[in-house]
Amino acid sequence: MTVTDQTSAPISFRPREFEVLADGTGRLLGSRCRGCGAPFFPVRAACSGCLGTDLETIRFSTTGTLYTFSVVRQSTPAFPVPYVLGYVDLPEGVRIMSQISGCEPDDVKIGMDLELAVEEFGTSPEGAPLLGYRFRPMAGRGDR
Amino acid sequence: MTTVHLIGVGMTRFGKHPDRDAADLGAEALLEAIADSGIDPRAIEGAYCGHVFQGMVTGQRILAQVGMAGLPLSNVENACSSGATAIREASLAIRAGEHDVVAAIGTEHLTTRFTGALTPDPSDPEAAVGATMPAVYAMRARRYMEEFGMTREQLALVAVKNRRHAAANPLAHFRKEITVEEVLESRPIADPLNVFDCSPVTDGAAAAILVSDRMLKRLGNGRAVRLAASSLFTGSVDTEPTSMTFEPLTRKTAEAAYERAGIGPEDVGFAEVHDCFTIAEVLRVEGLGLFGQGEYPAAVERGEADIGGRLPINPSGGLLGKGHPLGGTGVAQVVELVRQLRGEAGERQIEGARVGLAHCRGGKAVGIEGAACTVQVLVR
Repeated sequence: MTVTDQTSAPISFRPREFEVLADGTGRLLGSRCRGCGAPFFPVRAACSGCLGTDLETIRFSTTGTLYTFSVVRQSTPAFPVPYVLGYVDLPEGVRIMSQISGCEPDDVKIGMDLELAVEEFGTSPEGAPLLGYRFRPMAGRGDR
Repeated sequence: MTTVHLIGVGMTRFGKHPDRDAADLGAEALLEAIADSGIDPRAIEGAYCGHVFQGMVTGQRILAQVGMAGLPLSNVENACSSGATAIREASLAIRAGEHDVVAAIGTEHLTTRFTGALTPDPSDPEAAVGATMPAVYAMRARRYMEEFGMTREQLALVAVKNRRHAAANPLAHFRKEITVEEVLESRPIADPLNVFDCSPVTDGAAAAILVSDRMLKRLGNGRAVRLAASSLFTGSVDTEPTSMTFEPLTRKTAEAAYERAGIGPEDVGFAEVHDCFTIAEVLRVEGLGLFGQGEYPAAVERGEADIGGRLPINPSGGLLGKGHPLGGTGVAQVVELVRQLRGEAGERQIEGARVGLAHCRGGKAVGIEGAACTVQVLVR
């Protein structure tokens, strides 16, 4: 879904890890070590590379490639099956677990190019839609 | 520093126990371990109890059941490595010189705590997007198939082997052999894994009595088995994406255990490894250095990992066949090692077994390779 028709401010399902911008696009949040440059998802308090505590919060790129995936056919009640779950490698050097949407499970391939999409992830206790992230095949490049 | 020895072990039947609970199962296992050791229960100075979902003070409930309350006891939780961590904590208390006799118990009444797929803790960002443990391993299986050309049939053979071993284990959850076709036709859970690729939801408990050198000399127990190493590590936080078809955490934990035991992987005669899923066994034995990377699926096909093969893997039936009561698993692996090394494993006895290894790996937390990994080396 798109979120441009939201009348109230969009609500992220996990504000510490995922930000929904005013234009309706989403960004995954993480850390980069100012000492050694190592990137992390999610936000960390210290760097596992150099143990430095001078970390900046960064917004990751919204594109990546699929490292591996599975079609999940049994899950918890919060997640209707089937859905595709994958690990997506982002250019900054982090690997993100995400659902893959926007294509048939049979069309999902290791190495395919993906882009982040803002999609509904349930509702808040007040009934407002919560916005989360999934990755979709990049327009016109999904069958690489 | 003293060496640590195992002088008694006990284990309940693994399976569904609708009329029991975790404390009751733990008490049965503990009483059997005490009887097996021949020690006066009053000589036990401390205890550790591993469990995951059983709630507060489960270990104390076990001690109360068997009339032993009054000891120092710690409950330990390290996901699927909880029981193995209890063994390690018990061994550390002895090595530190604090105690001479310690009980380690692992228990879980899993059927009353959840159904279906195990998931990471709900606070974890990966749980929030729909992570399940079967899905995580399914993704690793797919990647392994892509990189090493493992076939779906080869993967199924791991389940076939472990169910065959379990059929020879009177305490196993599953007692019936299965075929490759049955694995391939079983209910899909997370492609490419089906339900027979997954360890079952099992109730059960196991216990062991550990003693110091000087206590062993005093007792003169001729059936004792030496705990030559018990190592534990938490996974590192990756600073870049790394291969998911190899386990640096398993390798690191194994190397620490090999060094402590003064052995190498070539000295291991048989192993109980954490086969929570078929692919997990592949990743474990290669991480442990028992088989070369990419080589295990073909080795299973050739029968090398069978009882009677070159290097038997999971002679008890493993988690896939014996069952996986989370907290009970790590202790039950040690029970199998002790029984094999004493020559008391009956129908599934490995001839000439002298060095056995047990490996557990549990838990999932975002950004780290694995939460808790243990390796125990037992020598007769």
